[in-house]
Amino acid sequence: MAVKDKLKTDLFPTIWCPGCGIGLIMQQLASVMDDLGLDKKNTVLITGIGCTGRMGAYMNFESVYTLHGRTLPVAEAIKTVRPELNVIVVSGDGDMSSIGGNHLLHSIRRNPNITVLCNNNEIYGLTGGQTGPTTPQGIATISSPSGSAFAPINLQGVVNTSPNSYYAKTTVYHQGPMRKAIKEAIEWPGFAFVDIASQCIENNGRRIGFSSANDMLQNYRTQYKAAPAGSTQLDSHQLGIVKGEPATVVGKSTAGSGE
Amino acid sequence: MTKRLVQGNEAVLLGAVKAGANYFAGYPISPSSEILAQASVYASKNPDFRFLQAEDEIASVNAILGASLAGAKSFTATSGPGFSLMQEAVGYGHKVGIPCVIVNVMRVGPGTGMPTMPGQGDLNQTRYGSSGDYTSIVFYPSTVAECFEYAVAAFNAAEESRSPVILLSDAFLGHLNEVVDLDAIEVSVVPRTLEPLASGSTRLFSGVATYADGEPATADSDEYIRQYEESRLNRLDVASRYNCFEYGWNKDSDTLVVAFGITRRIAQPLSPHFALFRPIRIWPTLDKELIEVAERYKKIVVIEGSDGQYANVVERMLFRRVERVPLLGGRMSLEAIREGLDRIGLLPIEPLESGAGSPAQADGSASAVG
Repeated sequence: MAVKDKLKTDLFPTIWCPGCGIGLIMQQLASVMDDLGLDKKNTVLITGIGCTGRMGAYMNFESVYTLHGRTLPVAEAIKTVRPELNVIVVSGDGDMSSIGGNHLLHSIRRNPNITVLCNNNEIYGLTGGQTGPTTPQGIATISSPSGSAFAPINLQGVVNTSPNSYYAKTTVYHQGPMRKAIKEAIEWPGFAFVDIASQCIENNGRRIGFSSANDMLQNYRTQYKAAPAGSTQLDSHQLGIVKGEPATVVGKSTAGSGE
Repeated sequence: MTKRLVQGNEAVLLGAVKAGANYFAGYPISPSSEILAQASVYASKNPDFRFLQAEDEIASVNAILGASLAGAKSFTATSGPGFSLMQEAVGYGHKVGIPCVIVNVMRVGPGTGMPTMPGQGDLNQTRYGSSGDYTSIVFYPSTVAECFEYAVAAFNAAEESRSPVILLSDAFLGHLNEVVDLDAIEVSVVPRTLEPLASGSTRLFSGVATYADGEPATADSDEYIRQYEESRLNRLDVASRYNCFEYGWNKDSDTLVVAFGITRRIAQPLSPHFALFRPIRIWPTLDKELIEVAERYKKIVVIEGSDGQYANVVERMLFRRVERVPLLGGRMSLEAIREGLDRIGLLPIEPLESGAGSPAQADGSASAVG
């Protein structure tokens, strides 16, 4: 099957915990790549630090396993030097919006034609389960035993400061919509961000009352609802896509004057 | 063949272009900002040369790493504080094996320091700034012509070693204007050595310790040692093609001055009274070359714009105490050097007749390539 050609199955089983959501993303990404004809000659993967970052090693592509938080500068430069390549960033919520937050703000301004898949599990999983920038306020983690002190970052808001970006909110439970969002994001002319709620049972879920990965997946099914068609803004726990104006000249934001 | 007035920072950019550089990402910081500005102008006239003023130095250095993997000869330019921000990426570049050049036009530190005053206090940072063990290749010119020549050398050494090579300069040298004919400087350019991304393989460029197949090797000490030794020996081998130094002035003196960068130029009027050893390749150290020269001298004095960073290195190289003239707080002048020499009893007695001590031409380069 051609999807298997996108994966280095001889390295399986993967390093991810049983019940991890990342594998669900990798599966759909491989499938979309197969649909779109993405291969190691026309596509590169840029991955960040965190469990999500391991994805590059398992896929049959050249991949750059960057420093923590630095996928965007690396990805943009690669796209600048090799505009013919599809550049796909796969990263976690902390890598993308905490340590990587400043780069996110500025990549948005520059509107590079890259795709970002964000494994948003609301935790720093690899380091054992500390609060992340998207952890909901009040959730107990190993660095916030009395509950996370601050409001989470508004990822949608940051991405949509650009009038030309593509933002999708989905979950690993909603395989069909997630797959569609990944495909549209890759095809989007400009910056595209797919915010994927994904479960971390080992270093998050089991401490906040979930009994299993399936329990967390079922929770995505019941807690997240599709936003009404044509929504220009998603409320929390709404799934949908917010599209800006596709840039006519990719790499030029229409924000501000004279850029 | 055009002789014209060229600025040190300008010569660095022109050297980079000569070496085939086609990607620059940087952030403004005194006293290096001319390189950013001129790179921007160059890019506007040469569409194949890509330019980015990034949001900060961390983005800049990561961008040049990505650009290099994609196939570009890439570089950035900064000063001490920006160079500090880039350290994680320097280590990453060494670990992964990415050719690129980082220009550090030094100023007085620490912290934000004295942005427009010359310093030489980043030497240790160029060698040990990032975490862990790695072997840096670092060059530090003394003339505008050498800024051009060693910019090319830095790109060449970067390709040969597949590592981030550092080109040092300082606030005075960067802003020094000298009449040079850059076209007359003969250089050879090493072509790109690293296969660019998406050429048909499925390589993993990983900062994390991995085996060749991409599996994590994060608990395998033997594998680490194997990879580290290979990298270390490779760097030393490449460095040995650049045994760049100057040995001159009055070789019959009984005192050897060790000075580099702009300090060597400032100290030029003292040349009748001392021998001079000037390292141009700062790291790896020129042990063999310095040991051979130092043997002949009863006294050695290291004159530098820091509190003994290179003096400590010389002592380690020679297993011998040296005298020190630190030029601190940006006060890098002949007068400051003379005061420093006087403090340690090494101030030469000038003969009464004229000629001695007059400002000689700063021809600078007698770079002996081994």
